[in-house]
Amino acid sequence: MSQTSVIQSGKRSTRGQKAFFQASILIVPALILFIGLVIWPLLNAFMFSFYKWNGFGPLTDFEGLDNYGDVLTHRTFPTALRNVGLLAVTSLLIQLPLALWAALALYQKAWFVSVFRTLFFLPYVLAEIAAGLIWRFVYDGEYGLVPAIGDTLHTEMPFVLAERAWVMPAIILVVMWKYFGFHMMIYIAGLQSIPNEVIEAARMDGVSRRKIMWHIKIPMIKSSIAISVFFAIVGSLQLFDLIVPLTGGGPQNSSHTLVSFLYEFGIRRMKLGFGGATSVVLFVICVGVTLLYRRLVLARMDQ
Amino acid sequence: MKRLALATALAAVFATQAVADTTIKWLHITSIPEEVELLKAAAREYEAANPGITIEDQFLENEAFKAKLTTLLQSDAAPDIFFSWGGGVLTAQVDAGVLRSIDDVVSPDTLASVGSAGVDAFTRDGKLYGVARDVGEVVLWYNKKLFAQAGVDPASMSDWTGFLAGVEKLKAAGITPLALAGKDKWPAQFWWGKMIVRLAGQDQFEAAAAGEGDGFNAAPFVEAGKYLYELGALKPFQPGFEAATYGDASGYFGDGKAAMHLMGDWDYTVMKDSSASKAGIPDEDLGIMPFPTVGGGAGDPTDTLGGLSGWLFSKNASDESIKFVEWFNSAPVQQRFAEKSYYIPIVAGGADTMTNPYKRQVAEDINKAHWHALFFDQRLGPDVGGVFNDLAIGLAANAITPEDAAAQLQEAVEDAQ
Repeated sequence: MSQTSVIQSGKRSTRGQKAFFQASILIVPALILFIGLVIWPLLNAFMFSFYKWNGFGPLTDFEGLDNYGDVLTHRTFPTALRNVGLLAVTSLLIQLPLALWAALALYQKAWFVSVFRTLFFLPYVLAEIAAGLIWRFVYDGEYGLVPAIGDTLHTEMPFVLAERAWVMPAIILVVMWKYFGFHMMIYIAGLQSIPNEVIEAARMDGVSRRKIMWHIKIPMIKSSIAISVFFAIVGSLQLFDLIVPLTGGGPQNSSHTLVSFLYEFGIRRMKLGFGGATSVVLFVICVGVTLLYRRLVLARMDQ
Repeated sequence: MKRLALATALAAVFATQAVADTTIKWLHITSIPEEVELLKAAAREYEAANPGITIEDQFLENEAFKAKLTTLLQSDAAPDIFFSWGGGVLTAQVDAGVLRSIDDVVSPDTLASVGSAGVDAFTRDGKLYGVARDVGEVVLWYNKKLFAQAGVDPASMSDWTGFLAGVEKLKAAGITPLALAGKDKWPAQFWWGKMIVRLAGQDQFEAAAAGEGDGFNAAPFVEAGKYLYELGALKPFQPGFEAATYGDASGYFGDGKAAMHLMGDWDYTVMKDSSASKAGIPDEDLGIMPFPTVGGGAGDPTDTLGGLSGWLFSKNASDESIKFVEWFNSAPVQQRFAEKSYYIPIVAGGADTMTNPYKRQVAEDINKAHWHALFFDQRLGPDVGGVFNDLAIGLAANAITPEDAAAQLQEAVEDAQ
């Protein structure tokens, strides 16, 4: 008895070693890329965040935590933080419910449904810079679509990208247009994986469509929802390439996100130490959000 | 026999390769198609006259150029020759050791042809790093037709009170008085900059830039800001100017929608290129009016604000690239660009073919200037210069007070030290 267990455990450990060995080989290419493109730059940014550095030559001018102080007390930093928060909140409260609603309407397989689905998904495929330039034209108060709409309604439309009150709503609209389809697709994938029998059984029991939606469909795709919420939050934290062509962070630096803040005040102004400190702050926020989200949402979901 | 022939042939091949086969990477920021054609034609001509030399011209758009250059210069893809506005950015590049000094190659003729101003602009710590190409001045362009339409005489706008009155009158006639590119920010600094040139003058500006005394908190800088703030309060700029790029604003003026545009002399061609018709304002309707004078000030009335740009060489640039630029910058080649009014060549005789009256006037202004102040954002370098631009557009939009603007500029100077 004891002998067999010994043999079994020995067997198990060799199998474990083999699996570990195989896994290591398979993981090497990805690991090299990850270390080279993520870990290494991250350590670098962390290192030069303690220096005053204009991007040229070796690091010589150590100044401790000064850059971090400069970032946190920068006039535009609270604006960037607020904008990122605004983007995340509006994504969660408006974009995701809309995407869910569209997904519930469009998840069945039929030709006209897939036409709509494709239309909604197309903006996501478009490069961010291109999308930004298109919307810059749409919003252009002189030649764009917005003043044309104003003309037909006989009202004067604002130059949305030039006014501090309008610029964030205008950007949020573009973000929704751009990423709405992506979230919808996540939900559609989830909805399509719900076994038909479950819904049919409910229907036979006389459950109303509304109740099927609230008590069967949505609960069954909660892991898809959890993932899409996560993408929406992290996406807001990282939003950058739409901002540059649309506003460049203006007017009066009122539409910066954390990353465009980093780019404008760190890279363009050749204050790479400051930029490094900003990226470390951003990294800490991202990791914090991820860990918190895992603990509070994903972990509970697994139970 | 055969073998010998082969050996000679091979030797010949290697010999030619040894003297030649140099590729010169030349990065410019020219976007006007006809001007690019001229650049390329010059490169082909030089290649034909100098076998074994290949010139690759590369283009980056103005804003992209500023953003990418730092990284580019430290990579293997660094261009051998690249455009530069000089100033604080040049100093940073020299300090970082990414440039090649050219004293060992450059000929005395070249030095003499660009004059002492051209040499000084690209000299740091006694070493020469670049070849000056052109000079430029920020001038107040105006549309005569729109002025006539509003019944405003430009002569009545020669001092600040008259200028503001003229702006009001243009507005009352339903004409946008001024075009301004708020998204790109740097055009706004010209207003503040012109006032600083007048009120503070060279000595006080240089002292403030070096962080001496009260620096930018001193009265002339605050006062200079007040003029821009006062102008901004009249809302003289086109609607939505805070989102306008330089191309947008230049096109707005070129389309005849704004009466004035404070911009470099290069706007003569850019204004045409950015206009809807590509023709811009016809010469008979286009004028340069004197920048309004203000009372007092330590600056000399002849002082100008503008640029003195040229070509720099990256650390690993070959001697051939310097020789190419010396040829390119010679009067006969530069005359082709002067003829088309793309810029005002600094090289002696380079501007001889320049028939354009506006450019001739600008060249004269700069010749007479006691101080030709370099664009302040370039002069102050990317960090403080960026802050300067931010504050200038803030003043134009009345988003910051002149006192705060001066204080924040001073803060940036102190931070950078």
